[in-house]
Amino acid sequence: MVSLLDPTMLTNIFLIAISGTLICIAVHFIPVGGAPAAMAQATGIGTGTVELAAGSGLVGLLTASHMYAGEPNAPVSLVLAAGAMGSMIMMASVGIACGIMYAYGVGVPFASAQVKRDPITGARQDLYVSKGTQGHGVPTVCFVSGLIGAALGGIGGALIYYVLVGIYTPLITTSAAAVAGVFTVAVFYVNSVIPSYGVAGTIEGFHDPKFRRVLPKDAVTSFVVSLLSGIIAVMIAGGMV
Amino acid sequence: MSDIKDVPPNTLTLFGIIGGLVGIYLSPYFPTAGALGAMCAVVWGADAVRRVAKYGLGTGVPSIGQLALGMGIIAAMFSLALTRSVTLAGPILALITASIIGLIIGWLAQNVIKMKIPVMIRGMTEIAAAGVLIILGYSATVAGNYVFAGIIPKVFDNGVILAIFWVGTLAMAHPFNACLGPDERQKRLLYLAVSTGAITMTLMGIAALMTLGVSGVYTIIVGIILWLISYKKFWDEVYKDVASVLGTGLLPKTEG
Repeated sequence: MVSLLDPTMLTNIFLIAISGTLICIAVHFIPVGGAPAAMAQATGIGTGTVELAAGSGLVGLLTASHMYAGEPNAPVSLVLAAGAMGSMIMMASVGIACGIMYAYGVGVPFASAQVKRDPITGARQDLYVSKGTQGHGVPTVCFVSGLIGAALGGIGGALIYYVLVGIYTPLITTSAAAVAGVFTVAVFYVNSVIPSYGVAGTIEGFHDPKFRRVLPKDAVTSFVVSLLSGIIAVMIAGGMV
Repeated sequence: MSDIKDVPPNTLTLFGIIGGLVGIYLSPYFPTAGALGAMCAVVWGADAVRRVAKYGLGTGVPSIGQLALGMGIIAAMFSLALTRSVTLAGPILALITASIIGLIIGWLAQNVIKMKIPVMIRGMTEIAAAGVLIILGYSATVAGNYVFAGIIPKVFDNGVILAIFWVGTLAMAHPFNACLGPDERQKRLLYLAVSTGAITMTLMGIAALMTLGVSGVYTIIVGIILWLISYKKFWDEVYKDVASVLGTGLLPKTEG
């Protein structure tokens, strides 16, 4: 019988809570512009928070689980790195594809209305922002911020998967990966929707003033919900015996 | 449109809970019943989404469907795993667990994230509960029962659960996403919800063909029939509503 108060189980629950919070923090780094960005009236990638965060995170989950399946003795750091890499590749591809479309399809210069100069390249932004818009395209700072977010999300997803496979494999050998994977997807979705309500649709990345304003309360909410998910995940293992 | 009375939320809640549970409990004898139960939950969930998303979520209607089914999967796995020896209690425990998770997330969304949606707490509870019934109902149709040991090999190992997650999310979120706007009406939305639920049922029938064989055929046939009927009804409602918009007449040519 799996005990909830067992130190290893407590660590596992805590790790799942941390991973969920990582996913929540990751969402704030990703430059989501929503519908306004789709019309090139706001900076960022023109789709919803959940789609972007979960899309890149699930690729991270795939790369991490594939890596772990091929090399079952791999240390946790390698599995996490595989997850982060998969997510980052996905986010970079989306960013580049979006950039090509904004530059050559829509024909807008990349500029953010939130900062005067790009914190990374130092390029002036305000001169290029069209009147009546919140900026357009994917400036360098948003792209880099997106990569950081994708890495955090990938690490979070991979960590939940790693912990759960470790708990479930001794109990249900062949189905452990499927159950752990589906549970990770569920926790991932819950934790990417919660911050998307906090940012209310659009955020540019770590340079956006909204970042500091909403991050703490979203992170607290995600931590509580992920802690609950962690307890449930361990109790599922208790039911498998 | 104020003269048209909506079906009250409590009636739909009862319809979703009772219909969903009865369907799931009948699924070992007649697997198609599981999907019919899930359809009741889809109708209930679509109305709950309508009541919450009316206030504007700021991030698109589908996100709340993904949240619901995410909570639903967690609650369903937990309850089924915990009730391995008393399988009858599984679906009811799942409903209670999902409601509690939904209540907590709703409370946090209202009081910590401060979303300022007055119906958030009740809405989130209902959406999570509908989500778990959707997951369990469609899973029961594919697996032929609602016990942990049966659902894991037939729904989880082959990846059908991801299809249930995605298509179930759309079944619940699409009706309001498609109908929202100033002329949105509940009746039209509910017919569309029945139709999206029926499409999901047809798809689950195809999955059941793989796992259960012949009973999948019944699910496909019932699903297609229900889809055709409900889509025709939705079509008629759309025409009726369009008529009431067009029927206001043309603008007068000269000022009287």
